[in-house]
Amino acid sequence: MNLGTRAILYTARKWKKTLLLFCLLLSITTLVLSGLAISDAQEEQAEELRGTTGTSFTVSRNTATGGWGNGGNGSYSTQEYLTSDMMEKIVAVDGIEGYNASIRTILCLSDVNGQWLEQLEPTGHSMVDCQFYSYSCINSEYHSLFLSGALEMCDGEMLAPSFDNGIIISKEIADKHGLHVGDTIQAVNDPFSNDKTKELKIVGLFEVVADKTDERNNFNEASYYDYANNAFVSETTMKALLENYEDVGYASADFFVNDPEQLEGIIQQVQKITSINWNNFIITANDEVYERVSSSISDTGTLVTTLIVLITVVSMVLIILILSMSIRSRKKEMGILLAVGIEKPAVILQYTIETLLIAVAAFPLAYLSSKQVAGMLGTLFGKTAESVIVTTQHFTLVATLGAILLIAAVLISCIPAMRLKPKEILSQME
Amino acid sequence: MMHSKTKRNEVVSMNIIELKNVGYAYENKRKVLKAINLSLEEGKMYAILGSSGCGKTTLLSLMGGLDSPSDGQIFYEGKNIEKAGLSAHRKNNVAFIFQSYNLIDYLTPKENVALTSKLPPQPILERVGLTEEESRRNVLKLSGGQQQRVAIARALASDAKVILADEPTGNLDEDTAAEIANILKECAHQMNKCVVIVTHSNELAKQADEVLRLHRGEMKMLDRLNQSGRSGCYTEIVLQTYKAFNR
Repeated sequence: MNLGTRAILYTARKWKKTLLLFCLLLSITTLVLSGLAISDAQEEQAEELRGTTGTSFTVSRNTATGGWGNGGNGSYSTQEYLTSDMMEKIVAVDGIEGYNASIRTILCLSDVNGQWLEQLEPTGHSMVDCQFYSYSCINSEYHSLFLSGALEMCDGEMLAPSFDNGIIISKEIADKHGLHVGDTIQAVNDPFSNDKTKELKIVGLFEVVADKTDERNNFNEASYYDYANNAFVSETTMKALLENYEDVGYASADFFVNDPEQLEGIIQQVQKITSINWNNFIITANDEVYERVSSSISDTGTLVTTLIVLITVVSMVLIILILSMSIRSRKKEMGILLAVGIEKPAVILQYTIETLLIAVAAFPLAYLSSKQVAGMLGTLFGKTAESVIVTTQHFTLVATLGAILLIAAVLISCIPAMRLKPKEILSQME
Repeated sequence: MMHSKTKRNEVVSMNIIELKNVGYAYENKRKVLKAINLSLEEGKMYAILGSSGCGKTTLLSLMGGLDSPSDGQIFYEGKNIEKAGLSAHRKNNVAFIFQSYNLIDYLTPKENVALTSKLPPQPILERVGLTEEESRRNVLKLSGGQQQRVAIARALASDAKVILADEPTGNLDEDTAAEIANILKECAHQMNKCVVIVTHSNELAKQADEVLRLHRGEMKMLDRLNQSGRSGCYTEIVLQTYKAFNR
């Protein structure tokens, strides 16, 4: 009788022991698979976070190192401004995905017929009510109001550097005046001067989702600062509207990086750009949000990893103990097998096959059960059930490592008995 | 019986197992066997007598390759069993029968016999007195005598030339013990096996062709008995040998 047949017969006839090990392997594998799925969901969330926290650095004028002048409006810094050329050199550094610099002014908006548009809460004075706080954007996607989540696009698209004569207004203003994406309106900086009036195409509409108590961006729904009264135009449009005024450049610009982890290195690379006098500019890293959220995610990740390791270690100890007890109780059988000339490796191989036979049944079932359990366990770690997915890669990994660990467990369990001579085993039986 | 032909074509009996100056000491250095010299032939049943703890089972274990002697050498058909490999020796040359039967409890009698044999086990089991139905039962549901028959069948199925039996009738009633003794005798005389029995039982020893006594680690040949039931003579010789030992 070969060892395979013996292994099958043992597994079938000692069904209580088989069932015990089966249940143990099933529950452990289910937990480990679920843990891996949660861990992956965690990693995915972290990855997502890297891309969505808008980790950036700001390059701004260093007024402390510049001189000061006096004008009609009081003293002002004579420090140089950030130019488009400087910003293009900075954005060329590897790892920077985009940038934005903004000029804010008040534009008067009217429809194509020259009829002034009204703010959301008009005062009754048409020349006041037609004034809208407007921002120029190189890329509106990176504007702080959109990045912070205060505003959300609900129709159309963001302003990209390639856009010209485009404007984004709020959905509320659009609804109030029956405007839609694709419609044209007019904008002028100062209607009482010879400032140019430009026709602008509405490229997108936004919704205000900011908390009404948000004071960070001077939110005040009863004033100009009501986000619904904001508008966004492209850089070239703003320059055209302000052509009567000196283009000094930007006081600051925000540069957004692909991977927050690389922020420090990118800043170091930026500081190596020799054509910019870094004595005149300050670089500030804006990664507080990422650091704060990633620290929390990292803590959860550590907890999940610790749990997986803990479950695996405790399970392995448990399995080794059970196998040890089982093999100890089979000492007599081992002595008999050795006495009839079956070699020790063949006996160990038989025990290994028995364990693997159980694993072959337990692992696929654990795969199926973990698909049900993982989502439920994931919610305990703040994940949505849908985001916790047990994949075939998880199964392959767990099945392979599980098989290796089980073989190791059988070998470890066999050591005490295998160190004895057949006579010692048989005399211990007596 | 194993024979070899000489140049004159005479049939000469050959030793199948030979022990030369075999000694054995436990780890605590206590010597249990001292310079044992012994030659065993095929076709004979040997009985080894001796008090408890005198090293009978140890001697059987050494002959069966379950352990290695501290001193001396053991030969099977002229070859040193350690050099040939103890595991191979156990597999090919010897078969054990134990007092506690030592059957594998999750296998049926048939499967226990099949452990050591590729031959169909049923004819062998029937030869030792087990029916087809009994051969399919769980071994633990058989009586002691039936279990020992399975153990003997397993020994026979291995086709080993040497059968080493450690107290094979120790757990059996008189009638069953007698039946087992007869089977073992048949193994020696009809199947030409070398049967070595370690026993406390004089009744079983009486069945042996040769009786050996192990005393204080030394081996003494007591008698060569034929099968005509010379039990009186045997007892007498035992007594004489005791006297000789005491002197």
